[in-house]
Amino acid sequence: MTLLSVRNLRVTFDTETGPVEAVRGVSFDLGRERLGIVGESGSGKTMTGRSMLRLIRPPGRIEADAMTFDGTDLMAATETQMRALRGPRMAMVMQDPKYSLNPVMKVGAQLMEGLHQRDRVGRTEAYAKAVAALNAVQIRDPERVMEAYPHELSGGMGQRVMIAMMLIPNPDLLIADEPTSALDVTVQAEVLSILDGLVRDRGMGLIFISHDLRLVARFCDRVLVMYKGRVVEEVAARDLLNARHPYTQGLLNCLPRIGGNRGPLPGLDRTAEWAR
Amino acid sequence: MSLIEIDNLSVTFDTAGRRVRAVQEVSIKVDAKASFGLVGESGSGKSTILRAICGLAPITGGQVRIGGEVVKSPRSKAFSAQVQMVFQDPYASLHPRHTIDRTLSEPLAIHGIPDTDTRVMTALADVGLPTSFRFRYPHQLSGGQRQRVAIARALMLKPQILLLDEPTSALDASVQAEVLNLLARLRDERGLTFLMVSHDLAVIDHMCDRVLVMQHGRAVEELSREALATAQMQTDYARSLFAASADRMLGG
Repeated sequence: MTLLSVRNLRVTFDTETGPVEAVRGVSFDLGRERLGIVGESGSGKTMTGRSMLRLIRPPGRIEADAMTFDGTDLMAATETQMRALRGPRMAMVMQDPKYSLNPVMKVGAQLMEGLHQRDRVGRTEAYAKAVAALNAVQIRDPERVMEAYPHELSGGMGQRVMIAMMLIPNPDLLIADEPTSALDVTVQAEVLSILDGLVRDRGMGLIFISHDLRLVARFCDRVLVMYKGRVVEEVAARDLLNARHPYTQGLLNCLPRIGGNRGPLPGLDRTAEWAR
Repeated sequence: MSLIEIDNLSVTFDTAGRRVRAVQEVSIKVDAKASFGLVGESGSGKSTILRAICGLAPITGGQVRIGGEVVKSPRSKAFSAQVQMVFQDPYASLHPRHTIDRTLSEPLAIHGIPDTDTRVMTALADVGLPTSFRFRYPHQLSGGQRQRVAIARALMLKPQILLLDEPTSALDASVQAEVLNLLARLRDERGLTFLMVSHDLAVIDHMCDRVLVMQHGRAVEELSREALATAQMQTDYARSLFAASADRMLGG
């Protein structure tokens, strides 16, 4: 079943030196599965994720031939309709907890804010739900974290708080923008298994945005590889080693390997036809 | 005698109301022209060891010897001519209001070394940056270019030892490859000794001959490159770190 369908998505920013196309014609379908979007900085992967929620501010413009989420036309939806979708139906975990959590508000208050505003639940119930969400992302001491300010949390904890916050309304689609890039490998594995459990148990769709090709390959079902705003290759994660596109191969080969030969790592050749 | 000798190093911070034992009795020996890696999760004390060597963190127990001599506090000019550090975040480690030229010529001015002009130009060329970058500011450079400037700055005084604190973790995979290649080339050309910190075992394995796994400020296990490649670790923690490394997925 298709949850999200995107056809020919373009994101354009008008700058002094003329329009800059951050995303140039991206199309994909997503069911209740884990889709990875991989690319270097500036490849348009974050912009693609934000477009789904129409979270691009002017002067940025979103254009698409079609963008539908579970029967709703996202291009035609009014701002009120979008507000109803954001949160309960589709949610996004932003990249950096340092910049995405409110620094002057306790974590607990931030977690409960949505419950008060959107669901009109009472104080006690909201508190219980927030603690349950923190438990779900395996925070050991949820009562203490509820009373903490974001700067009192480590990067890994902050990241998990953001995931918990997005999961409280139980969305059908979660867009996770580099949710683990600030984390150590061991914590990274933990956060991934949390996300994995949610996709399996709740039947959630997941878009996982990352620059780490190996991580995405290990975790996702399908991978879109982006370069300069275009999808250069779509490949099933298990076939990634046999990826045909030179850019995908380049991204794979430039990573050092344990037990590798220690020769100079191959760089990316950006001169070929596809790089234009 | 090894070039870098660290004996039972402890670093303790006294903060309001509690003592944080960041590093507890860690010993390391690194031979000249060898590369040694430190891995562990955040808070394991790996960066603190590098900072303690440079004098950016207090040595509260044990000894650090460079070339057989115990380091003095504060560190001398001779020390900085011999040991230099490259920091993790190229966005934070360069002065935002200083041009690249000023960043690179400052160590020369402090040490009274002449020929600033030619040395700055050579330094830029050595790290693969065009000389037209000389009068730019850090915000005009990309992350990879900034890290090249940071490496150039560390090499201005021609040190024997480079302390590398996660030099590539803020960079894209392809840019990481370029910076690692640059470091390997400079090491071969100049006979440098590296003490490198990373949370990525694959990066450490690529660059270093030996690696020390750390957890909670203590040394857990020291591994040779061969032992790492063939997964012959003795402790559970080192094994879990190895298993969690994203590299394993494509091991086959």
